[in-house]
Amino acid sequence: MVLPALVPAVFVVAGGVGAAAMQSLGLMPLVGPVRFSADAYTGQAEDLFRALGLSLAIAAVSTVIAAVFGVGTALLIVGGRWCGRILAATSAATVTIPHLIGAATVGLLLADSGVLARVLGVPPELWPSLVGGPWWLAVVAEYAWKESAFIALIVAGTLITRVARFDEAAALLGATRWMRFRFVMLPLALPALAISSTIAFVYTLGSYEVAWLLGRTYPEPLAVMALRLFNSVSLTARPEAAAAAVLTTLVSFLVVGACFWALRKTALWR
Amino acid sequence: MLVGLGAVVSLTLGACAAPAPDGARSEFADWNDVIRAAQGQTVKLWMYGGDTQGNAYIDDVLAPAVAAEGVTLERVPVTDTSDALNRVLSELQAGRTDDGTVDLVWVNGDNFRTGKEAGAWLCDWTNLMPNLALTAPDDPLLLKDFGTPVDGCEAPWNKAQFTFVYNSDVIADPPTTLAGVLAWAEAHPGRFSYPAPPDFTGSVFTREVLYSVSGGYENVPATFDQDAYDQLTPKLFERLRDLAPSLWRAGSTYPANEQELNQLYADRQIDLTMTYGPATLTDLVASGTYPPGTKVLSLEEGTVGNASFLSIPANAASSAGAMVVANVALSAGQQLAKAHPATWGQFTVLDPNELTPDDRARFDALPSSPVVPSYDVLSRSANPELAAAWVPVLDEGWRTTVLAGR
Amino acid sequence: MTGLDLRRPGDPGSTLTLAHGRGRLLRVLSTTLVASWFLLPFAPLALWAFANQWSFPSTLPTEWGFDGLSSAIAQGALPALGTSLLLSLVVAALATPLGALAARALTFGTVPWPRTVSIALLAPIALPPFAAVLGLNVLLLRAHIPPEAGLVLVLVVMAVPYTTFTMRVAYAAHDIHYEEEARTLGASRWNILWRVHIPLVAPALSRAAFLAFLVGWSDYVVTVVVGGGEVVTLPLVTASMAAGIGNDSAVAILSLSAIVPPLALLALAGFAGRRPRTGAVQKTPNVGERP
Repeated sequence: MVLPALVPAVFVVAGGVGAAAMQSLGLMPLVGPVRFSADAYTGQAEDLFRALGLSLAIAAVSTVIAAVFGVGTALLIVGGRWCGRILAATSAATVTIPHLIGAATVGLLLADSGVLARVLGVPPELWPSLVGGPWWLAVVAEYAWKESAFIALIVAGTLITRVARFDEAAALLGATRWMRFRFVMLPLALPALAISSTIAFVYTLGSYEVAWLLGRTYPEPLAVMALRLFNSVSLTARPEAAAAAVLTTLVSFLVVGACFWALRKTALWR
Repeated sequence: MLVGLGAVVSLTLGACAAPAPDGARSEFADWNDVIRAAQGQTVKLWMYGGDTQGNAYIDDVLAPAVAAEGVTLERVPVTDTSDALNRVLSELQAGRTDDGTVDLVWVNGDNFRTGKEAGAWLCDWTNLMPNLALTAPDDPLLLKDFGTPVDGCEAPWNKAQFTFVYNSDVIADPPTTLAGVLAWAEAHPGRFSYPAPPDFTGSVFTREVLYSVSGGYENVPATFDQDAYDQLTPKLFERLRDLAPSLWRAGSTYPANEQELNQLYADRQIDLTMTYGPATLTDLVASGTYPPGTKVLSLEEGTVGNASFLSIPANAASSAGAMVVANVALSAGQQLAKAHPATWGQFTVLDPNELTPDDRARFDALPSSPVVPSYDVLSRSANPELAAAWVPVLDEGWRTTVLAGR
Repeated sequence: MTGLDLRRPGDPGSTLTLAHGRGRLLRVLSTTLVASWFLLPFAPLALWAFANQWSFPSTLPTEWGFDGLSSAIAQGALPALGTSLLLSLVVAALATPLGALAARALTFGTVPWPRTVSIALLAPIALPPFAAVLGLNVLLLRAHIPPEAGLVLVLVVMAVPYTTFTMRVAYAAHDIHYEEEARTLGASRWNILWRVHIPLVAPALSRAAFLAFLVGWSDYVVTVVVGGGEVVTLPLVTASMAAGIGNDSAVAILSLSAIVPPLALLALAGFAGRRPRTGAVQKTPNVGERP
């Protein structure tokens, strides 16, 4: 019964990673002889680590912001009648937008001469460098925006099905708002929060369009570096692109593995 | 699971062969063969999709014309031409040598060179096209693309000139040399920038500056030579490093490509920009995207010019149909329609001396654009391009010296 | 909910936990803030979509009109919209039953090495799409899998973690005794499936299908690399237009048309989910959408 789902999944994951690894080691060259070598890793080690650091930083910051906003939104969704319904609808709408289009619209909003700068009447020289600026603020904002909606919906879903009656019981027993948040809501929302944040983190780490549209030319995150090398006019850059891809994949799997390991440890997962 | 793994292993182990680097040769004996084979074929033309006028020309003018010859033309929009080359290379890497999904590519110099090195293009076919006779056989822009010999591996389509563009409402007294442009930039901090190489336009710009600081293109050997590189480039990179603090955002970052640079110009953040596609200027001014005072800046020492081409991948499934499309695109009627500023405004590759008097008169009667001067004016004292081997070395030198070296 | 609805313990918005007075004001205020956080990025689209001319630095478009719309249509927005819809529906139609089958088998313990299998099914979430297609494309080409089939294959695999997860949550709360009872009463397998099993998990199925739809709908990298130009979807047209200059209003129209269909589906699902169902007593929280 699981085979129809399992076979293609294994083919895509093992095939994708395997072929990328072989390309990175010079075993599937575009031109020239097959030659095993780790040059694609060692030759650009410094660039790879810089890109990895940047990717991790962008993913970490945007995921933290998204988690905070997401949990806040989830609490509002669970707690209120009309407020909850409005927020559930707006965050559901946000989740459906493709990241590429989200990036395009955030660019239109936040660019030096974007809609916000025009509406506020700030000349481009005085407008902070959000798009393509040194702190990657527009990129972080786009991920935080989209992922907070995602986290909100996952967490709210769990809270609605599992938590609300505990919350009522705690209220009956006289718990204050803060106590109910700290001792009822948060512990029970934690597994869903951890899982959804991990998914958001890994997605951010591996996604390309947003940093490509809203980022700057140097330094560059792993995904942008990989695609630049992949599309490079020099034929020998493909192993380097594959090396960046393999590194991203390894880090992704490590993060997901760590999350599940931690969840099992804490025994919050049923 | 084991089944999947087995399939993966057998596929990857078989996937090690790389394509032969010499490319494929056309098998057609004459044009009638081509026409016969092309009947009913569907040709996928992969081209940059960000130019609405270009897209409309293909869909509304060229496609009906090739349909009359029995060929269906479908446009595949890509964000960058390298997407198309990449697809071809991936197919060849996988050993798919005769049923490729890309039939025709609007290709620029560096993608052509990469593809030729990898044997990705079909060669020796352009001589079959009757309309090739309308071009000048000794036109240097049509014999070498970016320093790479064309060798019948691509059909000429448009001519283009690297062009500086400025807002005459802001700059009343524009500079007349490239050195003057750089001096103007330093006198007006934050109002100029250029795309980061290896972007095509940014890369051309650094070569123009190399000519300028070396005292003219005559002093730079066209073929790559490490001694010349070591001798000439310190001056180039020093000039660009000195310039950086006066650029947009104090040179702490650069536009990633020509589009980002020109967006800055459209947003009035810079007053002087550059493009390798001056054809689009007319429409951009008319639509209010560019400032109304937009003008083309002609430099005393000239700029580099080139031609853009249509290439057929070595593994194209509909290569005969693609040849028919390339031939129709090279006809006097299509070149004329395409050159009209209201349609697309692309300069023709045809030689006036090879045209019928009627066609020549029609080309002469084309309305001139209010923004872009005629090709003859633009290409006056055109500079030759450096050999392709210079390009990656200069780009990498710029990345390590100017971009990261601050 | 109207006053006629029966409230059950645990329904959201119970009067016990509802805010009062200052807390209520705070809640309305924070709702407004959070809602504008979500809605603000839509504003430029609404403005640019109907701006024929909006030269810098005008605060608002200098000329309104439908140039963007006609330009987007001329660039092939309509066929791209159709392709996107078809692709996403195919992905949803395949990934949902696959996920449901796997989830059911995993939940009711008929699978050897259940932990390994669950991990393998969830693994695509951690696989960056660009890394997957970079390697996979050569394999697909070598295996002579047509680009359309390869694209659907990869997208279905990317969607399966979401559908499996959604369905596992549903089956965990699923009472299999209804089916056993129907069987003892002599219902055929087919009848049990259609009359008992599917109605019971229908809300979760529609949720899973929606997630799978979104995976197909939002994809860019996989379509570019694996689709091989055979599949020109809305994100492809949008990206190629966004790569040009002066196309802002067409890009805004294309973006809006990429937002509306999933919203319509969502509204439809919400509508259907709110209708009281015979037999099915599950609630439909909007759980689990794609990041």
